[in-house]
Amino acid sequence: MGEFKVHRVRFFNYIPSGIRCVAYNNQSNRLAVSRTDGTVEIYNLSANYFQEKFFPGHESRSTEALCWAEGQRLFSAGLNGEIIEYDLQALNIKYAVDAFGGPIWSMTASPSGSQLLVGCEDGSVKLFQITPEKIEFERNFDRQKSRILSLSWHPSGTHIAAGSIDYISVFDVKSGSAIHKMMVDRQYMGVSKRKCIVWGVAFLSDGTVISVDSAGKVQFWDSATGTLAKSHLIANADVQSIAVAEQEDSFVVGTAEGTVFHFQLVPVASSSTEKQWVRTKPFQHHTHDVRTVAHSPTALISGGTDTHLVIRPLMEKVEVKNYDAALRKITFPHRRLISCSKKRQLLLFQFAHHLELWRLGSTVATGKNGDTLPLSKNAEHLLHLKTKGPENIICSCISPCGSWIACSTASRFFLYRLTYQHDNLSLKRVSKMPAFLRSAVQILFSEDSAKLFVASNQGSLHVGQLLEGRFRHLHTFQPQSGTVEAMCLLAVSPDGDWLAASGTSAGVHVYSVKHLKVFEYSIPGKQYTEWSRTVQKQGFHHLWLQRDTPITHISFHPKRPMHILLHDAYMFCIIDKSLPLPNDKTLLYNPLPPKSESDVVRRRTAHAFKISKIYKPLLFMDLLDEGTLVAVERPLDDIIAQLPPPIKKKKFGT
Amino acid sequence: MVQLRPRPSRTPASAEAMVDEGQPASEEEEAEHGLLLGQPSSGAAAEPLEDEEADEESDDEAPEELTFASAQAEAREEERRVRESARRDKVLLKEKRRRREELFVEQKKRKLLPDAVLQQLAAAPQTSQNKSYVALRLKDQELRDSRQQAARAFIHESLYGPGTNRTSVNKFLSLDNKRLPVKKAAAQFLNSAWGTQKKQNAKRYKRRWMIRKMKTPKK
Repeated sequence: MGEFKVHRVRFFNYIPSGIRCVAYNNQSNRLAVSRTDGTVEIYNLSANYFQEKFFPGHESRSTEALCWAEGQRLFSAGLNGEIIEYDLQALNIKYAVDAFGGPIWSMTASPSGSQLLVGCEDGSVKLFQITPEKIEFERNFDRQKSRILSLSWHPSGTHIAAGSIDYISVFDVKSGSAIHKMMVDRQYMGVSKRKCIVWGVAFLSDGTVISVDSAGKVQFWDSATGTLAKSHLIANADVQSIAVAEQEDSFVVGTAEGTVFHFQLVPVASSSTEKQWVRTKPFQHHTHDVRTVAHSPTALISGGTDTHLVIRPLMEKVEVKNYDAALRKITFPHRRLISCSKKRQLLLFQFAHHLELWRLGSTVATGKNGDTLPLSKNAEHLLHLKTKGPENIICSCISPCGSWIACSTASRFFLYRLTYQHDNLSLKRVSKMPAFLRSAVQILFSEDSAKLFVASNQGSLHVGQLLEGRFRHLHTFQPQSGTVEAMCLLAVSPDGDWLAASGTSAGVHVYSVKHLKVFEYSIPGKQYTEWSRTVQKQGFHHLWLQRDTPITHISFHPKRPMHILLHDAYMFCIIDKSLPLPNDKTLLYNPLPPKSESDVVRRRTAHAFKISKIYKPLLFMDLLDEGTLVAVERPLDDIIAQLPPPIKKKKFGT
Repeated sequence: MVQLRPRPSRTPASAEAMVDEGQPASEEEEAEHGLLLGQPSSGAAAEPLEDEEADEESDDEAPEELTFASAQAEAREEERRVRESARRDKVLLKEKRRRREELFVEQKKRKLLPDAVLQQLAAAPQTSQNKSYVALRLKDQELRDSRQQAARAFIHESLYGPGTNRTSVNKFLSLDNKRLPVKKAAAQFLNSAWGTQKKQNAKRYKRRWMIRKMKTPKK
């Protein structure tokens, strides 16, 4: 396999944004997650929780509500007062409609999926009709005194519960008038000066309204009479979110202390038919506020300020109890935020609004396996490149020779030329880039840095030539007829002749750059078939299939074509195609072959997958040259250190 | 009951009170009247007109007679004076308001563009679709921004404001360290990557301070 010197990089100060809303779509088993910087991500829960689509964020957009409507349409509303619809095929914003009610705090779709209700800052509840092209304002309901912070529709579509500050209103949909106004106690059996904010409401089909508020209470109201039926005090801090299962036999609430509680409808006595709501399970998987929860048929999903997305399958609902039924915590991005220039040993880090260029440190010392070598020259921060405008950067790349940097936002494309003179760096922007390059989903430079490949969100692939500091558009591969999907992943062959792209529907297209034609599966397929056929026959080792983070980067060794280097968040692995594949019985993870055993045994136990778990959590790993690897790690403690303050926990003896 | 001699009133009597004769009908009424009117025994507040000889002379003299006609005439005079002054005030106020209104109209006229230009603008087509710009009223944007700011402030105050039970991340992570059998230091001291920005700033400040200190010669 070889010996490598590894650059361990920990100066990438990457902090993900906190999660603000989640919305679960039952028909397609997909989860939409929106973050505090305006990014919206779509996760496919059946495909191993892979993040398949994402919409970049915007500074002015602070989403407060997210919901799915009929026909797989996704809407979001935020504090800028606009309702936004997302185009899931073209990966951009379809349109934004101003609700004219001030900042929007909550939004919900009707049970039929054809109407949308928003709760605004001025206390008005507005009804919108969803048409095939757009949404249209229908009417206003009775205006309330304070801002409407939460909304819930009765499953039959006749009534609505709206949670506000210190009270909950029940509206009749047909007339738009408020039937009941239920006052919420500021504190559980006590007096308090702080106003009680009703963070979440849920309307059940039997007329019960469940409310969660900032005093830490979960209360059950009868909407027919407008009275309080039951009250539970479950936390010392705010209870910030609630989600009810479709069968209405369980619901989940999230608190500001990071605890998620599961409530279930259980019979009062083992023989009786009368049922009551009982708090069954607490889960503590978060350290900070859990601002949003969702309930899928088999799992509880929660997300909050500590940026983790936690999916907890419920044991009683899961049919097959295998590794799939374990807890999933998604912390690290599934996309690549780092690119590397091998020739000059540079790393380009992508942040939300700026790029950073660093040169790796160097060392002259040598040592044995496992030693930490002292640096003779520290890593240098060469460049801090800020982008203008409120939009987030979607993708970025640096060319292998280190002379070109390209990055793209939703409306612009930037290309910079770098020149190096005796340790000095100068940057020049290439102006007059063609307009069709904007909103690129993926950017890639060819190995010789002469060509630039840009995958746009409309499904087309642009090829351009980089000459003498200027960009010249060569060719555009149009999307296949009938499919408008954005190309998500790109890879180019070392000799620059072939380009492989994979779209959201998991097909792989191979383009020939030299002849400007499209192939499919042929070139890699021909060479790979032998090996991949044996892989298919024997199957992967069961532990390999149970990895829960996706592989974020694959690279090849130029001199050794039998080796494939790939990594995910917790391990990196070199696959040696010449060695036999491991079967289920052998140990998958064997970092060092036992020296004491004889040669024969060693040869027998050696297999193709060489896995190392030394560096974790890994954000990026690549081969710099013959004997050097670079690994960018991001320890979780460093992320937590820069999060907002959590709720105080009182422990005895401190 | 003490019989009090009816004394002339201090205040000018209104016309209604003088319906009957000046003299009270019965003794009791007279006494009440005197009590109600509450005259001080000293002559400090007494009307000189009616009370010329009340103090010095004996109390045997009959009070001054006020005929109904004279009192009525006086009352009417008083009323007329009051009405006159009110009317004058109203007229003055109206005049003032009219002048101010004229001034405003004049100022507004000065602010607006000349009529000719206004007519031309009104006649021109509203917005052309081909242009690549969008006209925005800055006032609307400011209002929208201020509302968004207020909303953000509300959320921040309700989650992190006074009354919420928040603590710093360092303290939160160090709780476990405090309860271990072998106590460890707080998380910010154990983790060397904590607060790198602050440490860098401190280093730079120290360097600059040292240079400044070296530059100023010691006296």
